[in-house]
Amino acid sequence: MSKTDPFLLEVLRYAFDTIAEEITLTIVRTAYSQIVRDSLDFSTALCDARGRTLAQGVCTPMHLGAFHDALRNMLAEVGGDVHPDDVFIMNDPYAAAGQHLPDIYVVQPIFFESVLRGWSATLAHHSDVGGIVAGSNALGAREIWQEGLRIPVLKLIDQGARNETLWKMIALNVRTPDMVMGDLQAQIAACAIGARGLVKLYERYGVDTLEQGMADLNAYALRLARAEISDIPDGTYRFTDHIDGIGDDPEPVILNVAVTIEGGHAVVDWTGSSDQIEGGINSTFPFTKACAYAAIRSLMQADVPNCHGFTEAIEVRAPEGSVVRPTSPGPCGARGITGYRMIDCLFGALAQAAPDRVTADGSGGSTLPTISGMHEGRMFVFCETAMGTWGASRANDGQEGVPHIGANQSNVPIEMIEQTYPLRIEHYGFEIDSGGAGRTRGGMALRREYRVLSDKALLNVRSDKRAFPPHGLDGGAPGKPSMNKILFGTSEAVLPVLLSEPVLLRKGEIFSHVMASGGGFGAAFERDPERVLQDVILEKVSIQGAARDYGVAIQRGDDEAYEINREETAALRANQNQHKGDLKCS
Amino acid sequence: MAWRVASDIGGTFTDVAYIGVDGTLSTAKVPSSPPHFGRAVVDGVSRMAEGAGLALSDMAEMVHGCTVATNAILEGKGARTALVTTQGFRDVLELRRIRVPRLYEPLYVKPAPLAPRNLRFEVSERMGADGIAVTPLDENHAREIAHSIARAGVEAVAVCLLHSYRNPEHERRVGEIMRTELPDLFITLSVDILPQMREYERTSTSVVNAYVGPPVRAYLGEMEADLRAAGCGGRISMMQSSGGIVDARTVKEKPAQIVECGPAAGVVGAAWLAKSLGLENIITFDMGGTTAKGSMIENGGLIFAEDYEVGDSMSTAGAIAGGGGYSLRLPVIDISEVGAGGGSYVWLDRGGAIKVGPQSAGAVPGPACYNAGGTRPTVTDANVVLGYLNQESLAGGTVPIDAKLSRDAIGGTIAAPLDLGLCEAAHGVHQVANATMVRAIKAVTTYRGRDPRDFALVAFGGNGGVHGPGIAQSLDIRRVIVPPAAGVFSAVGLLLAEKSVTLARAHSGDLMAVNRAEADAVFEALRQEAAGLLDVPATRVRCRLQAELRYVGQAFEITVDLNAGRFDDLDLGAFRARFNTEYAQRFGHSFGDAEPVEIVSLKLVATDPAHRPIDRLAQPSNPTPETVRQVWFGPRHGLHETRVIGRTALGAAPQQGPLIIEEYEGTTVVPPDARTWTDRNSNIVVELGQVS
Repeated sequence: MSKTDPFLLEVLRYAFDTIAEEITLTIVRTAYSQIVRDSLDFSTALCDARGRTLAQGVCTPMHLGAFHDALRNMLAEVGGDVHPDDVFIMNDPYAAAGQHLPDIYVVQPIFFESVLRGWSATLAHHSDVGGIVAGSNALGAREIWQEGLRIPVLKLIDQGARNETLWKMIALNVRTPDMVMGDLQAQIAACAIGARGLVKLYERYGVDTLEQGMADLNAYALRLARAEISDIPDGTYRFTDHIDGIGDDPEPVILNVAVTIEGGHAVVDWTGSSDQIEGGINSTFPFTKACAYAAIRSLMQADVPNCHGFTEAIEVRAPEGSVVRPTSPGPCGARGITGYRMIDCLFGALAQAAPDRVTADGSGGSTLPTISGMHEGRMFVFCETAMGTWGASRANDGQEGVPHIGANQSNVPIEMIEQTYPLRIEHYGFEIDSGGAGRTRGGMALRREYRVLSDKALLNVRSDKRAFPPHGLDGGAPGKPSMNKILFGTSEAVLPVLLSEPVLLRKGEIFSHVMASGGGFGAAFERDPERVLQDVILEKVSIQGAARDYGVAIQRGDDEAYEINREETAALRANQNQHKGDLKCS
Repeated sequence: MAWRVASDIGGTFTDVAYIGVDGTLSTAKVPSSPPHFGRAVVDGVSRMAEGAGLALSDMAEMVHGCTVATNAILEGKGARTALVTTQGFRDVLELRRIRVPRLYEPLYVKPAPLAPRNLRFEVSERMGADGIAVTPLDENHAREIAHSIARAGVEAVAVCLLHSYRNPEHERRVGEIMRTELPDLFITLSVDILPQMREYERTSTSVVNAYVGPPVRAYLGEMEADLRAAGCGGRISMMQSSGGIVDARTVKEKPAQIVECGPAAGVVGAAWLAKSLGLENIITFDMGGTTAKGSMIENGGLIFAEDYEVGDSMSTAGAIAGGGGYSLRLPVIDISEVGAGGGSYVWLDRGGAIKVGPQSAGAVPGPACYNAGGTRPTVTDANVVLGYLNQESLAGGTVPIDAKLSRDAIGGTIAAPLDLGLCEAAHGVHQVANATMVRAIKAVTTYRGRDPRDFALVAFGGNGGVHGPGIAQSLDIRRVIVPPAAGVFSAVGLLLAEKSVTLARAHSGDLMAVNRAEADAVFEALRQEAAGLLDVPATRVRCRLQAELRYVGQAFEITVDLNAGRFDDLDLGAFRARFNTEYAQRFGHSFGDAEPVEIVSLKLVATDPAHRPIDRLAQPSNPTPETVRQVWFGPRHGLHETRVIGRTALGAAPQQGPLIIEEYEGTTVVPPDARTWTDRNSNIVVELGQVS
């Protein structure tokens, strides 16, 4: 048990959480790029002197578990060269235990009584860091040097003095220097706010009490995590998922996981996954670990503190040289897609152990549509985190218009896009009849359409789930596959899910982006006809879809209102029952 | 003699307040009477009037606060609402901003949209971002939609078209068609309610307004009829979420303005109090049975929420993600709320941590000590164990309690498993409750770059005086003020509010190159509109002009006062400097004049100068016998034999703690190292010792 009394421990937990929230709010309000300030693709943490997280902002779960690796690596790199008013910067996946090049860490040491006590840490996805593709998510990159500016552990500010050389280097190597500089400034401001908060706590409680509290908080989180994991039946649960693959003739990327639960401890083993590939979707090991933490944390029902302690209940293994633990110079610009798929894959495995705590598979994570070019003499790079829809749970239909569990990110207001970029959004909404059929229905697919208004522009996108659509659970149908098209006049061209290189769009052409829909849960023909009727009324399912997918006959009554034809429904369902077994899918 | 009265309706009680010409308060608390809320109001007003010797027929004005709009949303009982929007975008309302309020919750379920998908209609039209039509409005299509709406049994319609904040032509025309074709429906145009960029927020705000429109109208109609039937004359005014009062007629047009009116009234009352004491900066702390709320008054002014959502179960302004409620971008006082009140349950989680709330025992069964079937310990039970609350009864003797049941509950659930003494456990619970509430206060202070130490704490609500001093201590605040009638202080606040409205209009452009004549034309239009809403000639309206500014390229705006009567008189340099100062205070750095700043919108706060709230308050003298009881003040101070007195007995001479001040409306706990007295307005002032 802890030495800190339980009341003080709870008080300290609130205090740490509050500081992490303040760091986060400062970034939201002072950032410049759409992807940071509107999409919220960034993360924050307050850490102890050894880089272990004490609290994290309500941001991006798949980032969060990776802070410790990055800070530990940084501490080893810098040795004792840490001083008050230093600010460190880094992004390299290999030299700095980073995630991918656009994710730049900015961290500030926190001193109290002249001793290093902690770190204020931020990570933001920058709008561009150079490389062969605008937005620096080149799927076709063959090695990391093609992906942009690699920053090892460096001082961005050295004892209060700005490292002007570095600032100038960065500014010249990115396509959107105003945004990148502005966002870095926001990160610095946020770090200072966090540092101020922790120093105040030291002043109030003193070194011994506070640091005992930190240790006890981590121990408490671990204790709670172990108790939660022991609720999952012991055993090994396996699942295989796929990323469709890159380019016109994609080769599927295999993600193979075995989750072993034993006595309150979880081992996540990725043995059997594909070797690392010559394409930008390799997931660095810190990121792979973070995704495992996020997935398992999501099964816990207690309010586990978001600190380092709980991760100690989870061990992650992956073969070196695999797509989930690449070695240099494996490119990883679009590694987000692999992270999202790892979480999906883990939910697939955990569904066998705890089917009431997960949903069927959803649309996957952000597809990061990026449209760039020159307009009126200026370079523009538009990029947003497009999400999403969920599979059904046993109790509820799949949620529609939600982020992936790995990244709590936002859309960008259409009016803001159109005011800022030479783009017009022509459509944003749900697709009827798309949700995977089931006793509970998967969420509908989302369609968003972008019309180019500049003379020409380059499009990049990292979608997925066309060849391998989202799985259903317990006999529920899978979701509908994703689709990307270019519409020009009355013709159209289908795009690969993961573009090996950007596609040229001309003025007036439309990029039509349809995400996959969510998988269903349970047999569709067992769905309550009243719920099918509701779906028809709400125009989520058509009359034809109701009959075909659910065996429910809906018609319009005398007053034009929809109603169930009970007799026909019984006939449809009886007929289906004869063919039961043909339709089992998962 | 003409008189004004306030009524504030909550879920359980209806509070009535009256301030006599000499500032003496008269209050009444009666059980609420849902669904016919007017009956309790009439009952409370009649009782109060009888006691104060007032004739109902002389009532000149009732200022009212209620939860009807919020409850319509929380309970899903608003109007059947349709939305008309641009072709291709009917799902914007349901897609929201995608992000969800909680991490790691795969089973999260979103709030249902207030206008269901089949009642969201897309009209053929499209306005560009530059305000030039890309596709003309198809008026026949709009008429067909109106006919579909008529057939669908809809009660209210919101119209929100893309880029209407830039050019409202299409939206206004659609509105005309709807009004012509659907004369009996409640129609809201987004451009009338929130002419600002960001389609989800504007759509949601318009839909909320439509959704609560019919129920609010019906409620006010019934309330007025009840009052008239009882022989009450006079007008009905209402508090808005922005803290100003307006005639109820205005509320019927923009009902979404009243969603936070109850909590707002308390903050307005505290602002008045601060002014009367010559205090520029205070933090307000309002703690009731289920929640605690914090807000801030700075330089005498209220602060406003930047991303308010109605119906979010826990609307801590600090919750970054949002998404738990329905976006409402009208002026709402920034009030941060946490689920910790006297009735909040106290429990141990499986890791051995102490938790307070958010589940609450409510009025039934209530805390364990109520002996009404509840056995789980609550915050109130901890306060009973500590001796902070009366050991025999609460609420001035009206609610009998059994202190042994509190001791059993705290002892069995908290003290025994943790192997702690009863008092240590109860004090720990009190501290954890304080920590939860401190977070709410930080959300409106440190999150804005403010240091609570520069503020005094005004504590009210039934439990404000019990927890206020402890909270002040943990924030290093030295002075706590507990106003008279603290338990019904929101009702008092209604009588202390100004008559005012806040209006805003999008107006974008580089600050240094702004066309002054155009800006003044916008302000003039806003002034005319405000005059209409306040029912005061435009020449008499007192106006405060403001602009929302931001660095070009950022998305977060800061509201800055023009400190001028017209834009044309504005000293741009000084104006820009005020923006820089505020930015630096919030975020710890500023770009100074290095980065360009743009105007996003123009804002006008209009006040009726003829309406003057009273300038002093006094608690009627109410002598109560002095008693003594054992009170535990934490490990540092231990157990003290403590005097328990009434407010009247306290007096102006400072007295050393420990002391308990017990009243009908609430209790104030003065720790041993604090001093306390009452000021000329009957406020209890507690000055705390050095921080423990």
